Amino acid sequence: MMNEMSEATVFTELPWLYTGLVAYALATLSAFYGLVRTRGGDAGAAVNRSHESLVLALLTGGVILLTASLAERWLRLGHGPFVNLFELLISQLFSLGLIYAVAYWRLPVLRPTAVVVLPMLWVLGTWVLLLEPSDSHYPPTYYNEWLWAHVGFGKFFLAFCLIGSGLAGVILLRRIPRVAPFFRHLPPDKVLDHMAWRFMLLALIFDSLMLIAGAVWAQDAWGRYWAWDALETSSFLNWLFLGAALHARLSYRIPIHVGALAIIGIFVFAFLTYFGTPFYSEAAHKGVI
Amino acid sequence: MTALLRRLSSTRFTLLGMALLAVGAALSYDNPVDTPVWALVAPMALLAVNLLAAVMSNARINRRPGLLIFHLSLLGIVILAAIGRLTHMEAHIEMVEGSTFDPAELMNVRKGPWHRGELEKVVFVQGPFTVDYGPGMMRGPTRSHVLVPDGQGGWERRVVGDDTPLVLEGYRFYTTFNKGFAAVLTWIPETGEPVTGTIHMPSYPLFDFRQANRWTPPGGEEVKFWLQLETGLKADQAWTLDPSKAHGILVLRSGEQREELLPGQATALPGGVLRYEGLSSWMGYKLFYDPTLQWLFLTAVIGVLGLAAYFWNKFATHPWPQAGEVSRKGAEPELETAPWGGGKL
Repeated sequence: MMNEMSEATVFTELPWLYTGLVAYALATLSAFYGLVRTRGGDAGAAVNRSHESLVLALLTGGVILLTASLAERWLRLGHGPFVNLFELLISQLFSLGLIYAVAYWRLPVLRPTAVVVLPMLWVLGTWVLLLEPSDSHYPPTYYNEWLWAHVGFGKFFLAFCLIGSGLAGVILLRRIPRVAPFFRHLPPDKVLDHMAWRFMLLALIFDSLMLIAGAVWAQDAWGRYWAWDALETSSFLNWLFLGAALHARLSYRIPIHVGALAIIGIFVFAFLTYFGTPFYSEAAHKGVI
Repeated sequence: MTALLRRLSSTRFTLLGMALLAVGAALSYDNPVDTPVWALVAPMALLAVNLLAAVMSNARINRRPGLLIFHLSLLGIVILAAIGRLTHMEAHIEMVEGSTFDPAELMNVRKGPWHRGELEKVVFVQGPFTVDYGPGMMRGPTRSHVLVPDGQGGWERRVVGDDTPLVLEGYRFYTTFNKGFAAVLTWIPETGEPVTGTIHMPSYPLFDFRQANRWTPPGGEEVKFWLQLETGLKADQAWTLDPSKAHGILVLRSGEQREELLPGQATALPGGVLRYEGLSSWMGYKLFYDPTLQWLFLTAVIGVLGLAAYFWNKFATHPWPQAGEVSRKGAEPELETAPWGGGKL
């Protein structure tokens, strides 16, 4: 019975997942190729951007393949990717890829950040490859529409943090003399910093919505809207750090590279909240399902 | 006065309050008993004073409606959450099938000093329940049937469970994983009136092999009970816990005496006769009462909408830079330093 289950897993969602990850990997390589090709251009200067279409096509292809992987798993198990780490990672690879692809398409000035953002996605990609694609049991408290709102808002929050981190990453990379020439054609740090913080403002809105939807879901599911479990505490701290960073950025002359470090710090904290806390503590959502 | 307000509204105070709140939140993780409530209340109070001072003195907030709404909603959430804690009530109860809710049977009751709910008006009768399980004893949906007054002298049937609580007079009753079987017993003392009641066995199927309890009849000796259940449980297959289809033999021990009773059978014990009337079931509920829930939700949503509206306007007047349009020169005017020293977004 277990062997049959394993084979079913291998022959349904995994091929889509693997090809999706290959597409992401090729998109990453194309982004680096483009960066090397445009080395040395001045800020705002006309540069050859033909590789960007390829990056976008590969990224979109990866998103479509991951959508197929999620759909296969969904049909096979009868529930969405909300429970174990394996399916949470695929789901995030899909949503982060999708939101970044839309941003990449609509805001061309963001495109050089692909060399920072796509490797971050590959951290998730490598992680998912190391996990057993085990089936999950869907808890009865997950049949609640607020779960969708909670997860959906959370995906936007993390994606905007990721894009902000991509911009912050470029700012920091430009401080390394050997690397700086690769990003010289980009707008000045001030512009990148300005954009990065705009994404963090959007992240704050979606983080707030995620917390509200999560509280409503928790009230329905467990009879309390807030209980300081590991995930709730970590999420609240994340919201607080984001709010504090925005207050500091708007009120003081914070050096741009310090602001960039703060953005990356917030993203790392959000990453650990998403993928670390629920599996670190049995008392988190995992423990009360 | 103005100077004091300006000092109190300082962003330094905001950041200090946030840092202290972060410490308070970290200390509150998992609700340890040794963390005083002040760990959260003090920084929240500091932030509230800071915010009120900022609203009164700072044009950056009070002349921007969206931002003002967001910050006031944060204040509203803190106040509502405080009112919620002062008026809340939480408890647990085990309801036997066929029994009517009785507030006197509540366990682990915790309530705020201002709790003024009308618990005595809550009326419902527990009916049967079922719980689905997947292979490997993975718990699925719970369906608990209850009867509530329909307001016209009759009863209305409702099915609650998991994320669908029974809400009566503002009190929310949530089914829990805690549910099981009960033996209905009648104690017929040598002198006095017979008394009928239930002995609740531990949660099922969590304690499948420990369906035991003990009780001392009035004027008698302690009796140990063990319920031999037949529920059709198959751990490796999908299964539904349906107490109406279960059977149970009640094994009892009193001193050296051991008896196995089927429903309807009785045995003589020191001090009287004990009759096993039959098998019943109980459902464990968590009770939750907080009159601020809807207001909290509304306040939070209005706050986020205010923030979103503020940034929508902001982004509309200062669009995102496009590739090729941005040059070192061209970018500067939009990114000029804000008058208060920080950066505009």
